[in-house]
Amino acid sequence: MSESGIPGLDEFLSSSGYIEGFPDNTTTLIYGPPKVGKSIFCYQFAYHGLSIKEPCLYVTADDGMKQLQQNMIDFGWFLQSSIGEELLYVIDSISSLSGVPIENTNTYTLSKINDPTDLMVKVGLGTRFVFKKSNEFRAVFDSLTTPFAFNPEPMVIRFLKTYLRRLKEAGATVIVTYTEGVADESTEKTLKSIVDNVIMLDGNYMTFKSSLGFIGTAEYKITDQGLVLGKGEVL
Amino acid sequence: MIVRIASGITGFDSLTAAGDDLGLGLGGIPENTVTLIYGPQEVGKSSFCYGFAYYGLTQDEPCLYLTTDMGIKEISENFKDMELVLDEYLENNMLYVVDAASSDGESNGYDWYQSASVRNPTDILVKVTSGARSISQKTPRLRGVIDSLTTVLESNNEMLIVRVLKTYILRLKEAGGTAVITYTEGSADPRTEILIKSMVDNIIKLDGEKIIIEAMKGMGRKEAPYQITGSGIVINGSR
Repeated sequence: MSESGIPGLDEFLSSSGYIEGFPDNTTTLIYGPPKVGKSIFCYQFAYHGLSIKEPCLYVTADDGMKQLQQNMIDFGWFLQSSIGEELLYVIDSISSLSGVPIENTNTYTLSKINDPTDLMVKVGLGTRFVFKKSNEFRAVFDSLTTPFAFNPEPMVIRFLKTYLRRLKEAGATVIVTYTEGVADESTEKTLKSIVDNVIMLDGNYMTFKSSLGFIGTAEYKITDQGLVLGKGEVL
Repeated sequence: MIVRIASGITGFDSLTAAGDDLGLGLGGIPENTVTLIYGPQEVGKSSFCYGFAYYGLTQDEPCLYLTTDMGIKEISENFKDMELVLDEYLENNMLYVVDAASSDGESNGYDWYQSASVRNPTDILVKVTSGARSISQKTPRLRGVIDSLTTVLESNNEMLIVRVLKTYILRLKEAGGTAVITYTEGSADPRTEILIKSMVDNIIKLDGEKIIIEAMKGMGRKEAPYQITGSGIVINGSR
């Protein structure tokens, strides 16, 4: 089991008896309308992992690296030491649009939002780097929303299938976010079917469905500590 | 801690101030973020932009203003009606206007005035980008306005505009900007609307009676009644 880093979530998941917590080496889709906390979930998940020395391969597709760091600083989460220890590997597929030259480093690489092939190559390199650090690691993809605006939907799905398969094989616990309603209905169905677990956030409630048969819903709030779970019910 | 800048809208900063401290947490719009102002027509979205831009100018923060509905002359007139004078800021390179509304390209002779066509979004992007660069060479902070996105969406492929908007947002933030973007609810495909909402940081709805802060960095949902007066938007009884 992985520690999710979301206060209340691991306890809630294990209260069912079905699962013991956030299932490791699985793939999870986090979806919901805009501004319900999907990215914040990612920050918590990655940051908590880093704090217990679990490396993380982070693909940022909505915000560039600078913005990502700023967003996390707003919660008091600083990445600098994890970057120093080379525990965090970031693939930034959006900053190239900002028109400002940025240098790659050992653990930071740029890709292009409209070039899934290049992104897949970078994911391969990143996976190898992180895997060498530890065969228990986390992978975050935040989010699919911008790729859907820049690429044909079937291409995004093809990319995602390969991405999920590769990372799962390498031992990662993977979370991927998506803004509900930006792709076709059939594409959304496919998205939900190619992952092990889905988490739906609607601004007030989080619903967790796992392939192992767990279904539960809990209240949550966005606080200055990130998402915090309240009362929940296992169905 | 989230840094906020004064909005220039009467009552807005106290509505968004953190209530649980000793008055140290000033309200306003989170710095270096993008705010979507949406709602039906004629509810004060442009007035919000005027207040936001003008206050920045009075604080020596330059403004990059993309206008798509009204030409610069009409905007200047609207400011005058609110007893605000733009001329000085246009003359001393504080207000950079990209005008995609005046088809005849009334240049006015200002250095910082570019005309563009609403049907040519990539040209608009080039001009806005060069504006952001010119400003960021002078100062680390600026305000950005797009009023409104609706006209651009109506005249072009919506997905193209989504991509152009994403690029604008990245470049404006890179230049240290804080931006406000207006959009008339329901004028684009629902899918486009969701994409726009997902790309901005803060979402404010004006419905003619209430201002509803649906999402904003560092705070929960809030609402308050407002009026459009001769001097712009006034938010009452902020809670």
